[in-house]
Amino acid sequence: MRFQNKADYWLWLVAVALAGWVIPGGGHFLIRQPKRGMIIFITITLTFGLGLYLGSIGIIDSVGGWAWYIAQMMATPAVWILDHLARHGAYQSYGRPCDLGQIYTAVAGLLNLLAVFSAVYMAYAGRGEFIGREE
Amino acid sequence: MSALLYGIMASFTQPENIATSPAFMLWMFPLLAAIAVIYKTTKLRALLTKVFLRETLVLFGVLSGFMILAIVVLNLLVWLITR
Repeated sequence: MRFQNKADYWLWLVAVALAGWVIPGGGHFLIRQPKRGMIIFITITLTFGLGLYLGSIGIIDSVGGWAWYIAQMMATPAVWILDHLARHGAYQSYGRPCDLGQIYTAVAGLLNLLAVFSAVYMAYAGRGEFIGREE
Repeated sequence: MSALLYGIMASFTQPENIATSPAFMLWMFPLLAAIAVIYKTTKLRALLTKVFLRETLVLFGVLSGFMILAIVVLNLLVWLITR
């Protein structure tokens, strides 16, 4: 993709990162890698959804579980809305379901962070390029 | 339709009942599968279906093998300490 100036180029990279954060796999769709985008979207949505199903939305807690919350926020900014819902409702989650739910949702968030880095690097280095070497 | 939708949404407001048993460990496999899929999606230069599936399965197998080994070693350690 060609850009008029450097500011446009940086804006493009930011747009790719934001798209990947708002909708998992969105960054890859923007850089015309729809197959990757679709796989990332389905996998991260299912992982995050399974975590919420196991532990309920009570596992999203920006006050008591702020470290988990940071990782969960990497999946999508919609977590912020879920946190508000969870805090204003009486959704409690303890024990094993809470542990599993937090692990699933946090890992989904961190995997999305990896996907965002991948999309931004592909946008930066050109189509077909990726971080590190192929395995 | 709306009853079904409310039913689905309601299932996200109550935690599932998960017992403390060795079967609890099986919950790691979907997570390992997700890690393998995303990692390979970001790493493969060309996303050919056959290659992608093979590479993902290999990585999933390696991750699962390592986790099972870790479980065995940790259980062995606990058994040695507490016997």
